[in-house]
Amino acid sequence: MSGTESIAFDTPQRERRADNFAMWVFIGSEAMLFGAIFLVFLVAHIDFGPAFAAASKHLSLPLGTFNTAVLITSSFTMALAHRFTLQRRWHATVWALAATSALGVCFLVVKGIEYGKEISEGLAPVLDLPFRYAGPDPVHAQLFFGLYFAMTSLHALHLIGGIVVIAGMIALWRRCSPANRLRRVVAVGLYWHFVDVIWVFMFPVLYLINR
Amino acid sequence: MSELRKLTFGYLGLLALLALTVASSFLDLGGFNVALNLAIAAAKAVLIALLFMHLTGTLPRLAVAAAGLWLVILFGLTLIGR
Repeated sequence: MSGTESIAFDTPQRERRADNFAMWVFIGSEAMLFGAIFLVFLVAHIDFGPAFAAASKHLSLPLGTFNTAVLITSSFTMALAHRFTLQRRWHATVWALAATSALGVCFLVVKGIEYGKEISEGLAPVLDLPFRYAGPDPVHAQLFFGLYFAMTSLHALHLIGGIVVIAGMIALWRRCSPANRLRRVVAVGLYWHFVDVIWVFMFPVLYLINR
Repeated sequence: MSELRKLTFGYLGLLALLALTVASSFLDLGGFNVALNLAIAAAKAVLIALLFMHLTGTLPRLAVAAAGLWLVILFGLTLIGR
């Protein structure tokens, strides 16, 4: 694979390895960010288990399950994009990337519908919205919904970032050399799959508490 | 097995695990529901890391091991101190 004009590395292979390593280190740092908020949730869950289980039942399991499937599918199309790039099937790559970002948008739309539903039911203790919770232990249910909104919106922000980067990549596609196309697809792919993995943990932790 | 088939099987496996985790939540397994959900999530993460993220080579594995070590310290010390 020629075309990588590197001044810092002896060989393009070495540069690719360094690129890859840097992405994994970045993913490690992101794992610390999400790990901390998961830990806060875990400690609160241990302390207020019954309140959290009751509050969790107010989330929409069908929409959450659908969204998990959407995100897994987007990871699959992203993996296809990587495959097509290696085969230099550029048209197919662009389509796979477009499908990935479209599925990302679909996830956000469904998440928005869920947020709208929760806000209209008075279950969103954020942005000074009214919190009306009829179940047991409303104080700790409020903590659950606060954490739910913090975790899912942090995840959604990461997804928005990924969608913007993929859109930018598609916009600049024609001006990009084959070697750089591969580097970009690999890097954004790693990030996208990581955001998927975060959701894979968030979904059972938030939606599936002792239903 | 061709690469494309591997990806497709991985994808179908992920959807099957999703179905399994949702179905298991309707069964009352006592304290094991949470453990089962987390085990399934970990299995999904491993599938994604190996098949989609091509987690190979010393340096990426080192980065993942380091992140894992710090997470163990973060979770371990917090939970021990309670």
